Amino acid sequence: MIRLESIDKVYRTDKIETVALSNINLQVKEGEFISVMGPSGCGKSTLLNLIGLLDAPTKGGIALNGTTITAYRDQQLAKLRNEHIGFIFQSFHLIPDLSVVDNVEIPLLYRRMSNAERRRLALAALDRVGLTARVHHFPSQLSGGQQQRVAIARAIVGKPKILLADEPTGNLDSQMGDEIMNILFELNRAEHTTVVMVTHDPRFAEKTERIVRLFDGRQVN
Amino acid sequence: MLKNYLKIALLVLQRRKFFTFISLFGISFTLLVLMVATAMFDHEFGPFAPELKTDRMLGIYSVRIENSEKGYARTGASPYWFLQRYVRPLASAQKVSIYSLQRSVNSFKNGVKHELYLKRTDGEFWEILDFKFLEGGPLSAQDEKDGNMVAVINEATRRKLYGGQNAVGKTLDADGQSFRVIGVVENVPILRVTSFADVWVPLSSAKTNSYLHDGAGNFLAIILAKDRADIPRIKEELQGVLPTVQIPSPTEFNRVITAAETLFEAAARGIFANDRDAGDYSKPLFALLLLFMLLFMLLPTINLININVSRIMERASEIGVRKAFGASSWRLIGQFVVENLVLTFIGGAIALVGTMMVLKIITESGLVQYAEFQINYRIFFYGLLVALVFGLLSGVYPAWKMSRLHPVEALRGKSI
Amino acid sequence: MIKHLFKLVWNRKRSNLLIMLEIFFSFIVMFAVITLGVYYADNYNQPLGFTYEDVWNISIDMQTGTDDYWSPEMVNTTRQLYLALQDFPEIEVAAGAHSAPYSLGNRTSVNVYEGKRVEMEVNEVTDDFQKVLGVPLLQGRWFEKSDDALSWKPVIINQRLARAVFGDEDPINQNFRPWASDEDDHRVIGVVNDFRKDGEFSGLGNYLFERKRLDDPKNRPPANLLIKVRPGTPAEFEERLLSKLQAVAREWSFEVSPLVRMRETAFKFRLIPLIILGLIAGFLMLMVGLGLVGVLWQNVTQRIKEIGLRRAKGAAANDIYKQILGELVVLATFGLALGALLIVQLPLLDLIGFIRPPVYFFSMIMALLVIYGLTLTAGLYPSWLATRVQPAEALHYD
Repeated sequence: MIRLESIDKVYRTDKIETVALSNINLQVKEGEFISVMGPSGCGKSTLLNLIGLLDAPTKGGIALNGTTITAYRDQQLAKLRNEHIGFIFQSFHLIPDLSVVDNVEIPLLYRRMSNAERRRLALAALDRVGLTARVHHFPSQLSGGQQQRVAIARAIVGKPKILLADEPTGNLDSQMGDEIMNILFELNRAEHTTVVMVTHDPRFAEKTERIVRLFDGRQVN
Repeated sequence: MLKNYLKIALLVLQRRKFFTFISLFGISFTLLVLMVATAMFDHEFGPFAPELKTDRMLGIYSVRIENSEKGYARTGASPYWFLQRYVRPLASAQKVSIYSLQRSVNSFKNGVKHELYLKRTDGEFWEILDFKFLEGGPLSAQDEKDGNMVAVINEATRRKLYGGQNAVGKTLDADGQSFRVIGVVENVPILRVTSFADVWVPLSSAKTNSYLHDGAGNFLAIILAKDRADIPRIKEELQGVLPTVQIPSPTEFNRVITAAETLFEAAARGIFANDRDAGDYSKPLFALLLLFMLLFMLLPTINLININVSRIMERASEIGVRKAFGASSWRLIGQFVVENLVLTFIGGAIALVGTMMVLKIITESGLVQYAEFQINYRIFFYGLLVALVFGLLSGVYPAWKMSRLHPVEALRGKSI
Repeated sequence: MIKHLFKLVWNRKRSNLLIMLEIFFSFIVMFAVITLGVYYADNYNQPLGFTYEDVWNISIDMQTGTDDYWSPEMVNTTRQLYLALQDFPEIEVAAGAHSAPYSLGNRTSVNVYEGKRVEMEVNEVTDDFQKVLGVPLLQGRWFEKSDDALSWKPVIINQRLARAVFGDEDPINQNFRPWASDEDDHRVIGVVNDFRKDGEFSGLGNYLFERKRLDDPKNRPPANLLIKVRPGTPAEFEERLLSKLQAVAREWSFEVSPLVRMRETAFKFRLIPLIILGLIAGFLMLMVGLGLVGVLWQNVTQRIKEIGLRRAKGAAANDIYKQILGELVVLATFGLALGALLIVQLPLLDLIGFIRPPVYFFSMIMALLVIYGLTLTAGLYPSWLATRVQPAEALHYD
């Protein structure tokens, strides 16, 4: 599904060079649930951003479904993200001006389809995360767990093959965290969605099929 | 898609009311000034009663009679002989009228002095132009032929001299001459070079007939084409006639330069060529006006760009999310430009209302004699165009800057 | 401290560039409008060189279409008109002039005198012109009847022209030809303080009077007759005057207007554009001021962490005030320096020669003060917001 080959990522400012990732090789198979662990600043989020095509590696190649996409331009990358990848963030990143259902529709805005179809898919995704009662609420009217469920609905509305979750439970208490994790495991199990999740919480990591451990930008297992 | 853009645009406007206010203030003020200027311009050059056929009308506004060897010349309104002998017979014209520049004259009524603008015209003048008569009728070719001492006056003069009562048949004393009023027309604003006056009398009612052969004069002409397509033909025909002109004092002058043109073309030729050649300078003048407009928009544009740019960070998370879920940079530019256009058009609507008010104030101040400034569809259309240009100018750079925001950077900050 | 401020502004130069640009253009706009206003005010305070009260102008239209042509009959008719004016007890004194005060249209001559290029406005007036308009003489004498016998032509100039041409020399009896095409000898017989035909708001230029005679068929007849009427002459007099004039010259047209009224028209002509420009500039400045408030406000919100850090390190609210306003001043200074640099080029390149340097520099300083005032006022509220930042709140903002 996804293959990372000898990836380096270096951040350069005027004076200093920071190595975020060094010689990462990673293969994610279809339907896998992988967790990425490591201390703060070890490059977990950078790795996730590279997989999510939000950032380009300094060296090395990324292949999606066997096609190397390193040289893709902005528009092609946007299309790939739109069709294949769904993101879930630690701090939800819902747009406060938009209602729940409008937020969920966002990925569909960048596809050709009718408004009615968009609405139907968005409502279906909200049903999937159990939020049918709140579709016309605004994010500020929801609890943290509910907001993260909206974010998950947004991530899955476009039926992506891959879900990338960056500490999805980091801002939630443990009960809400469990709910969110259950949804993610359920998606992985029932729909064979590939999930790559960055987490600090060993409880959740242990339940996944594979743990990638990073330390100072290097793979340690 | 567009519906979604509009929705978010309106939501963003409601979120930070102070920013919306300062943006709208700048936009509507800028557009107001430009719309008022456009209205002035339109009332000067556009088709307004009685000059309704401007699309088929040309004029002779300026004639230069020069001695090309010695380098001196006389430039200004035309002497009568030139118009009568060389413009009136133009074959491609449907009708030609000769008239004089209006001149301020005195008229005394019961010991009170009234200053009136008097214009001398022929009969064709009244056939080409569409004056609205409140009573009586126009001057005729017969009046001109017989030198009848008759006059058409405007509504304001009727009010001043006859207390608004019926004036037809009454006597009008002006400039030491006595006329019989035969018609009253609606006021024509002073901006209308061709038709404006308070009193119109026959050319032949002049105090002496020396104007018929004077070397200089203050006469203008209107040339009416049968249809629009004849306009270039008339222009060409006149240029063809010019080399054959026999100037009454050939030792003194040897060349006539003029053109059959619209008022705008005449203004342009005056500005860019000082009437020294007969070329068409309307495009450079138009470009110059456009340049002035852009120059005026410069400061408001920078102001709005500044406000827009400073709000980018406020929306970093939204930009990040949209990028992550598949919005390309172009899509984002499109979204923000549309948002800015929505803002500009709201500002444009406010400006339109403001323009109406300002025009009303100018009209009532009497600053421009008899002018009744109003919004019409042309001014509305130009206002819309200007708003579009302004919206694009002030929106594209911030939108581009927003779209360049790196998604990783944008998502790093806290949620908003 | 100042160095620190400069560093802060410099390090954010990209985002600050647009603000600097805005301040730069605001300065240019303000400078242009203030200069025009100060220029008018300065002109207004200069001596006018004549009195307009109780003076009426009769403008004559000889129906020729141009004043290049005249006939001996026209000269004679003008003389008859002039003589007819003498019969009215209401008229104290009358004179002929080529151009009247507050009227449009000028005759300007450009001549070379001993290698110096001299530009001047020229008027032709009769002997009584001085009495009608009360033109004060500084030196020499005015035209008089006995000048008919002179073998040369007398001219009277204003002080500015005398200085420009003769420097410190005594101008009286110097040879000076008003027009390049003149062949006769001309000599200066008098110097007036000034004569500003276009009125109080007009610029200061060189002026020269030639002597006009009404009894010489070779001399172009004057286009205007100026009369000094007895104080309290009613407006009805106009009608009697006109019918008399019309009786003398049936084929001509006349326009009578008191100079007081022509002055009003001239004032409107100058002041209305200034008022419109001033209004537009005022609104532009308000717009810029509000825009700055917005931008600075946003700026402060973005820098809450930095400000909190400063507070935590012991900066007092007052220090934060000073810092935010100080940065703003530095920013404004960059924009203004750029503008001033550009504006200083204008007199150096002699692009606006008609404006006196003091007017110019005064306007520049006024514009500087206005823009500094505007930016500081715009900064007050945002910097007050900045002082409200609590150190603790700022630090866990991450």
